[in-house]
Amino acid sequence: MESTMHYALIFFVFILLKLCVTQEDIFTEELLIKPLNTDTVYSHFHFTIKWETPDSDFSSHSKVFPRILGELIERFNVLELHISLTNGLWRYEKWGYPVVNAGPGGEIWSWFKENTISIDKNWKELTSVLSGLLCASFNFIDETNTISPEFSFRPQGVFDGSQSVNSSYLKYASLPREIVCTENLTPWKKLLPCNAKTGLGSLLNSGYIHNTKYHSLGLHLRRICSDKLCTKTYLELQQTVSLVYDSKTLGARNWSLMKFFGQGVLNSCELANSSTIYIDITSNSSNPFRLTYKPDGFITSIRGGSVREFVKYDVVKNGGAFSVGVDYLTKPEIAITSPSLIYAHQYLSGYGKENGGLVVKITNNHWSHLDVVLLQNIPWYLQLYLHTLKITVSGKELKPIKLKFIPGKLRTRYHQLEILVRIPAKSIARVSVNFDYTFLKWQEYPPDANHGFYIPSAIISCHLPLARDFTGLPQDGTMIRDSFNASRSGYLVQIRTETLIVTLPTPDFSMPYNVICLACTVVALAFGPLHNITTKRFILKVKDNQNIIDKVKRILKLSFKKSGDK
Amino acid sequence: MTKDKRNYQTCSSPWVKCIYGRLAFLCLAAAAIRYWLIFFSKYQSLIADHIEVSTPLNAWKRVKEGLYLFSIGINPYYGDMLHETPTSLFFYQFITESLGLSTGHIFIIFDIITATFLFLVTRQYMFMVYIEREENKSSYSKNIEEYLYTNENFRRAPLYVAATFLFNPYTILNCVGFTTTVFFNFFLSVFLYLLLSRKFFLCSLFLAFCTSMSFYSIILVVPMCLHAYKQFNGNFRAIFSMISFLVNFLVIMFIGHLLDKTDSFLENVYGFIITVPDLKPNIGLFWYFFTEMFDHFRELFIYSFQINATILYLIPLALKFHNDVFLLITALLYISTIFKSYPCVGDVGLVLSLLPCYKHLFNYSQQQFLILVIYIISFCLGPIVWHLWIYSNSANANFYFGVTLAFAVAQIFLVTDILFVHIKREFCLYFGKKSRIGGKEAILVLE
Repeated sequence: MESTMHYALIFFVFILLKLCVTQEDIFTEELLIKPLNTDTVYSHFHFTIKWETPDSDFSSHSKVFPRILGELIERFNVLELHISLTNGLWRYEKWGYPVVNAGPGGEIWSWFKENTISIDKNWKELTSVLSGLLCASFNFIDETNTISPEFSFRPQGVFDGSQSVNSSYLKYASLPREIVCTENLTPWKKLLPCNAKTGLGSLLNSGYIHNTKYHSLGLHLRRICSDKLCTKTYLELQQTVSLVYDSKTLGARNWSLMKFFGQGVLNSCELANSSTIYIDITSNSSNPFRLTYKPDGFITSIRGGSVREFVKYDVVKNGGAFSVGVDYLTKPEIAITSPSLIYAHQYLSGYGKENGGLVVKITNNHWSHLDVVLLQNIPWYLQLYLHTLKITVSGKELKPIKLKFIPGKLRTRYHQLEILVRIPAKSIARVSVNFDYTFLKWQEYPPDANHGFYIPSAIISCHLPLARDFTGLPQDGTMIRDSFNASRSGYLVQIRTETLIVTLPTPDFSMPYNVICLACTVVALAFGPLHNITTKRFILKVKDNQNIIDKVKRILKLSFKKSGDK
Repeated sequence: MTKDKRNYQTCSSPWVKCIYGRLAFLCLAAAAIRYWLIFFSKYQSLIADHIEVSTPLNAWKRVKEGLYLFSIGINPYYGDMLHETPTSLFFYQFITESLGLSTGHIFIIFDIITATFLFLVTRQYMFMVYIEREENKSSYSKNIEEYLYTNENFRRAPLYVAATFLFNPYTILNCVGFTTTVFFNFFLSVFLYLLLSRKFFLCSLFLAFCTSMSFYSIILVVPMCLHAYKQFNGNFRAIFSMISFLVNFLVIMFIGHLLDKTDSFLENVYGFIITVPDLKPNIGLFWYFFTEMFDHFRELFIYSFQINATILYLIPLALKFHNDVFLLITALLYISTIFKSYPCVGDVGLVLSLLPCYKHLFNYSQQQFLILVIYIISFCLGPIVWHLWIYSNSANANFYFGVTLAFAVAQIFLVTDILFVHIKREFCLYFGKKSRIGGKEAILVLE
């Protein structure tokens, strides 16, 4: 009887718990592999956690959502958080567009909720915490290198409050000098529910993924609607890894998971609701290959005027260990790939360390004009002359539709330049602005002063009318699955240009004492005579004819006399 | 006053001769040189970009940037590019947009007007010296004719001053490089003219303009009051000139406040001059000193250097040279040119052009040759080592620092030499060129 009671009680508690914990966590893992051209392959890991949460108390219950991030969001009143750590440069011209855009180095931007009291303080603390969490140099972010762009960024999820977006709740910073390595990957992997032990996460061996031409870690937090009416909101965490492998470094054109990651998929993550590998086989028609493992399904995606073919592998269904790959049937031909719709480059002009120019070249390959927003985040050690800003398209000057400029200030604020400009069809726009180099104090130079100072990449945002070469997710999508057949009115790309290095003129670092002494000597040179002139008066004095030689002679004479007397 | 007038009438013979023709000729020739450099040679932008010519304080490029930012609705003082007061900016906007002249013409015209005013200033000064000579002739010692100005000196000095201003390379570069120092020099020359013409209200107004443009001119209040006191023999005028200066200055600041409601111009103009945040090299001593300064001593040395450039020598020199206000002004201008935080060749050009007023002292100065040589060498060597450092990477900052040090030393020698010779002359005027006491050889010493 008693035991039945016990059982009943336990059952009751269990039901109660089940009722209380209504939140559900959905974890999906996906891998998209896409051959970019004849010798590069793009693989993109996409881990998504959706967590239905109350508006507060994130740290309470979660099945798979990393608790630390929940605490962080609650503590700093974060609405959205986007972090990327990247090594290498995504070649938009040849490779098309990645699923997630990221600039070289570290990049972080965050939207704070509208009831945040001190955004600057929260931002500083948030970056410091993230610095510890991801072992990156985010602690070097402060108000001097943070900007709040007005046109370039919008919240990607739902946000409460009025219709208009107030960019003062946005903080953006980038660290172009950040070097991304294993020390960032390891803590990043720990945020995954299966902790890179099982499932697709187990492919991420640091020994292999740092051999790539381009690798980028991403962490994106936002709020999304659970249904069309948005009755409930989910907290969504996307963890992404983008890798571009070069067949030249791999040694062969044929690729497989074994070649990329040193191992195939060994087992599936128990916590994952789905675990899928997609391979883009569209290039099969021009560059035929054979899949080494039989796929579980075929997908044809018609999106924004372009048709793409995919094969699908379900990791859970396949059960045990397996590896997918591709064997090419023919020798590589010179593929004629048309360049992407829009791409951009950034470079420096001028010579010497006195005046220079910063140039961004934006190429529009589309058959109609494109409206783009160019965001330049220029460090204060370049003194910018806005009146020299010139936008030219094949020699003709172009007027920006909108221009927002927040001038920088020495040692306190970066320049923030945002230009909305309409680039005519099939043309190259050249945006140039001149600057002066700044001479810093000797203690402001880093230890390797002649290495140079970095200029972050410019960001060019554009809504593409076509989805050619576009792999990004639609704004309402959370998984790669959602990007199939997802035709929309426009496809947002945010292109990052190259980061640049400028070498500022340096003083002689070994000279402080000498310089202080010499300059003070010159000051004293003035002080002495002026002091004499103003405080003393002329008098005539009898000239003492005896100079030193006479004196010496007299002394010698005297001493000789004495010795002679003896 | 009446006495002066009489003197002028009776002794005006040295000025009767028409020298305006020559002045006009000089002005035309100088304008032609400037015109050629600005409009027909390719050197204009090269000169304007040179650090000896354009400092962060006076670069025309920055004025253009400020006017542009202002025109698109951005507060130019929010950034770090503009270090001119709102009133100056308003003035530049007026002269560039309303006069309908190209920038080059405006700079040439202002330079020529400055030269004319300097000509008039020197004439006034020579007149004052003449009166002093005539009045004190009786008390002078015998056989000191060589120490006195000749009538020839009196007549020629204004032309010499104008010519030195118009043709010395420093002012030519300054004008061709489009620096706002051209306007500062203009205001300063008007101030000097009004001061020597004893129009104290207007004079204090122009001094207020100068002070609002370059903070260092504030030290000229002392000679102004001194002159007012001397000329009218009473405290009233001295105090009046001081008060009217303060009122004028405050009015200018208030207009600045009306034009820039945020008042950030105060920090961006005066804070910038005083705390020296931009360490771009110039011909002064500040840039490398504060580049290499240890952070915890920075403030101490900023205070001491600024005091050194302004009030350190002000009182002693004012006490010593209260008889000759113009010499006092020259010395003060010279010292602030050497020691100010952002000096440029325009400042040097102006003080150099005042030197012919003291032509009678040149024969006795001891370091003429040395000074001349250093001036020439630093003028040539400065741009060369700058090029080696910044463009060809084969020299470093020390080279340029060496040149600026030498230049500062030359200027210090020049000013101390002139002052030294001046007091020696004063002594000789009253005590003669005695060189023997009781049959023994004697020498002059400072004690």
